[in-house]
This record gives sequence, structure tokens and C-alpha cells, in this order.
Amino acid sequence: MTESFAEFRESFSYGTRSDLSFKFLKSLPDAEAAEFLRRLLEEVGETYDTGDIAAIIDLAIDAQIAGYRPDPDRPSRWTYTDRPFAPLTKPLAESRVGLLTSSGHFAEGDDPKPFGVPNMTQQEAEDRISEFLREAPILSVIPRDLPANKLRVRHGGYDTRSTLRDHNVSFPRDALLSARDSGRIGDISERLYSFPGATAQGRIKQLAPDWAGQMHEDEIDVLLLVPV
Amino acid sequence: MSVGHIARDIEASGIPTTAVYVRSFRHVAEAMGVPRVVSPLHPMGRPMGPPGDSARQQDVLESALELLESATEGGARCDLEQPYRPVGAD
Repeated sequence: MTESFAEFRESFSYGTRSDLSFKFLKSLPDAEAAEFLRRLLEEVGETYDTGDIAAIIDLAIDAQIAGYRPDPDRPSRWTYTDRPFAPLTKPLAESRVGLLTSSGHFAEGDDPKPFGVPNMTQQEAEDRISEFLREAPILSVIPRDLPANKLRVRHGGYDTRSTLRDHNVSFPRDALLSARDSGRIGDISERLYSFPGATAQGRIKQLAPDWAGQMHEDEIDVLLLVPV
Repeated sequence: MSVGHIARDIEASGIPTTAVYVRSFRHVAEAMGVPRVVSPLHPMGRPMGPPGDSARQQDVLESALELLESATEGGARCDLEQPYRPVGAD
């Protein structure tokens, strides 16, 4: 059976060649995807001699940006014209900072058990991505002082290899600790939060006011949000 | 998009928020009216920077904090143009 180039592109998005760092190939037009691959190989050829990977990385990031480019003919349902704004009420050096990420982190022993499944693997989360996209997210509480080796991550929507190497790439607790220790911020909330952002958008919109209430209970002054 | 809903509601409830969106998703933050957005030129899944690069991760945080101090209205944005380079690549 002959595979078309479009089928090849699409296979990177939860298909036979699934690769969450390159699933954007599904959305790139054929000509752009072909040119990306040609230039990628050209740069690999350069790397044989130069050892310089910078051009490869920049090329891949540019292609990713192109792959996620909004389609002007299909505006997002979640478009708003208003811009909520709450001013700072006190200096950051006196503020308690909260953290909420959509990276899918949780604490060992506190598995959110999506669909009731304990110890779901990253691969199973990827395989069940369409179910995640229909369900409400579960917000995990991560104690600020949890040892780093007790942090877990699972998210069917992105390449978690980087965060497994260093959780701070998407759950920047160490950067917050440095900012606190230097006096840049006053304190860090004892309860940090994460959830897998690949989730039903209508459901999270319904949950957002409850989550806002949780932030007030924690008496945080500002919140750092880190989407993946 | 998930974080956009949360940012809007938490900000509207009175708590200032600041968010880090990789460049691929900056347009999502803009469409949703996310109050403050720092947008590094990092690949998806690595919003704060490369693994092990605590200096870059702290720089991104600092930019997010500065935006809290400088913004006077919703929709404030700061693009970070430093290239993404893994630790040890130089």
C-alpha cells in the first residue's frame, strides 16, 4: 500500500510514528512540511562538519511555530475581546507567590488516576488522548517542600522527556525558591498545583471559578501560570 | 487554552497572574485575553528553558515577575528572543 505524504505527516500525531514534539507536522501544508524536512537534512549534513546543532534547533522551533499557526478561516471558539486585569497590591518582595502548571505533575502517592486507572503510563495517556480531551481535568496539589524525587508527571499531549530530565522546565519550583532566597519574592505558597492541560475546554471553563476560590483560600498574592 | 480560562477567572477574582507561553502558543494567550504573557522562543514542553539550565529558568521567571510590576492593563506581553540551547551544546 502506498502512503501519501499527507498520511506520512499525519502519522506523527498519535499515529504509527507518533512523536509529540513533531505532531505539528499534521498541520503543516505539504509544501511547507517538505521544505522543513529538506532543510533539516541539509542542516544535519552541515552538522557532520561543524558539530553545531543550533541551526537544527532553530529550524525545528520555527517549524513548530508554523505548525501551530492559527487558521484565519477557523477562529477559535475561545476568543475574548476583554482583558481582565488585577493590579499588584503590594511589592513582590512582600508577596506570596503561587504556582499552577498544566504540565501534568503530581506527587508520588497522590496519583490522580485518570479514568480510575492507577499508575497509568505516559504511553497509555498518549494512547487515550481523545478521552482526556473529553473529560474534566483533575487538579493535583503538590506540597512546596516535596522532595524532587517524589515528583511525577504524565500528560498525553506533549513530549515529557524534557521535564523528566528536569521538572523545572515546566514546573519551576527551583526558580521560585531562588527568587525567594534572594528576596525577590516574599514567599511561595505551601500548596502548588498542576493538571494535564489536554482536557475538555468547556469543563475547565466551568471549573476555573472553583480553582480561583482555592487560590484565595491559600492566600496567595500573585500566581505564576505555566502552560505547556 | 486550558490555562487561559484559569488565568482569566483568577485575575478577575482579584489575584494578579503572570503566564509563560512558548512562542507556538502565544497566539492562544492573545486570543483569550490572558492578562500577562511572557513568551520565550522555546520548544513546546520546555516553557522555562532547557533541562538543567537554571540560569535561563530564573531569567524567564524574572521576566514574568517584571511583567507583574510593569503591566498597567490586561494583555501585557514580553517576548524573550534568546535562542534555545541545551546545556553543553556550546
